[in-house]
Amino acid sequence: MTISPTYAAVDDRAVKADAIRAPSPVAISAVEVSKHYGRATALERLTLDIRAGEVFGLMGPNGSGKTTFMRLLAGYLLPSGGRLQVAGHDVVSESLEVRRRIGYVPESAPLYRQMRVGEFLSFMARLRGVPERKVKAAVERIVERLALSAVVDKPTRALSRGYRQRAALAQALLHDPEILILDEPSNGLDPRQIIEMRQLIRSLAGQHTVLMSSHILSEVEKTCDRVAVLLDGRLLGVRALAESCDLEAWFLSLT
Amino acid sequence: MRELRILFGKELGATLTSPIGYTIAAVFLLVLGYTFSLTLFATKVANLQYIFHQMYVLSILLVPVLTMRSFAEERRSETLELLLTAPVREFSIVIAKYAATLALVLGIFALSLVYAVILGRYGEPDWGQIYSGYLALALHASLLVAFGLLMSSLTENQVVAAALSIGTFLMLWFADSVSYLLWPPFDSLAINLSLIGHFKPMVSGSVFISDIGYFVTASMLALFLTTWALAQR
Repeated sequence: MTISPTYAAVDDRAVKADAIRAPSPVAISAVEVSKHYGRATALERLTLDIRAGEVFGLMGPNGSGKTTFMRLLAGYLLPSGGRLQVAGHDVVSESLEVRRRIGYVPESAPLYRQMRVGEFLSFMARLRGVPERKVKAAVERIVERLALSAVVDKPTRALSRGYRQRAALAQALLHDPEILILDEPSNGLDPRQIIEMRQLIRSLAGQHTVLMSSHILSEVEKTCDRVAVLLDGRLLGVRALAESCDLEAWFLSLT
Repeated sequence: MRELRILFGKELGATLTSPIGYTIAAVFLLVLGYTFSLTLFATKVANLQYIFHQMYVLSILLVPVLTMRSFAEERRSETLELLLTAPVREFSIVIAKYAATLALVLGIFALSLVYAVILGRYGEPDWGQIYSGYLALALHASLLVAFGLLMSSLTENQVVAAALSIGTFLMLWFADSVSYLLWPPFDSLAINLSLIGHFKPMVSGSVFISDIGYFVTASMLALFLTTWALAQR
């Protein structure tokens, strides 16, 4: 079964079939991935493929497992079961290889408060393996691309929410990763900043595979190529987003 | 090696820009200066044993204040997520924090060298005892920093981390007292766990491999456990 153009709810079997039949090269592959915290289940046997170059959205209410899935991909958490591959590398046995190929922005956009923006970006560039002779150029390039030049000498603790989010995104892009994982990238931004963030993410499509989560349906609709809905750690459906898509109706029918 | 250098630089920078290190250095110097003057004028003996014991006690109380931030603060501010999703090994993160904090503690200890210089200038101290005393302090600091990091890696609350560290150090300090209540071979185990039991001989000028082994092994065990704690996620 291919992705339904009628946007009807997709059952588990259909989701699995869609995941297996991803036509483009697969950037992220999850097969029966579970994550448990003691008796609590954060993710239950999630199977999903994300294609190279696409912008993929994860939707679901709080506690549905979006952040857990992203943390598993970023290597911050380890799966309790199943197989999870990023850029062809296993997140458990080849964790360092995976971390070299991803850029990750956590939901809270954490920054080192004692550092200035430029200093923070230089540190993160080095940490992410950018060669010493290229660090300065990489930082300058990303500062210009994300319009951070006005704050590059400011301490990160003095940044507004919008600049914090941009600085956090900048650290994830410094090493030009194959895959970007953005947890709620529009969180706390004002409408203008949301539009800028959306444009920025769209501009990354093609060169990078982008996985983002969001609570805002309209944002997902305008930004993503495909979207998945999670609820209580289970994948409810996956679908492509087209011009005539009624995402809201589809989301409500699933949840 | 490069990742270790980068992380060490970041940790040292954070340590030197924080007021905590300077405050602790000031408290150290104030208390040590007081003790040094008092004991020198009272005993007229040119040795630093009082100072070394004072530093032993002070470091048990003050090193946890330096280490409590290490992981607890990173966890609270969620920057630990940045570190652990970067292509660096957990062990490098632990070693960088350990080395930076130990460098600061040894730097603070080094300030007390001024007392050794004064003794050398105006008296005839036993230099062997002074050297072994500083060796004991360096090993003691290594153990405290390693265990402080371990406690910090277990919680995101800095006060809890400091309290756990101080509690652990006090238990180790008085471990030999429990030996009277235990049967063999646990009584000798308790004696051998004692912090002061391994510190005292070195401060008196007797350096035993077993004492050095105690501090080195305990430090390595704590660093290993810290790495393991970080990897459990």
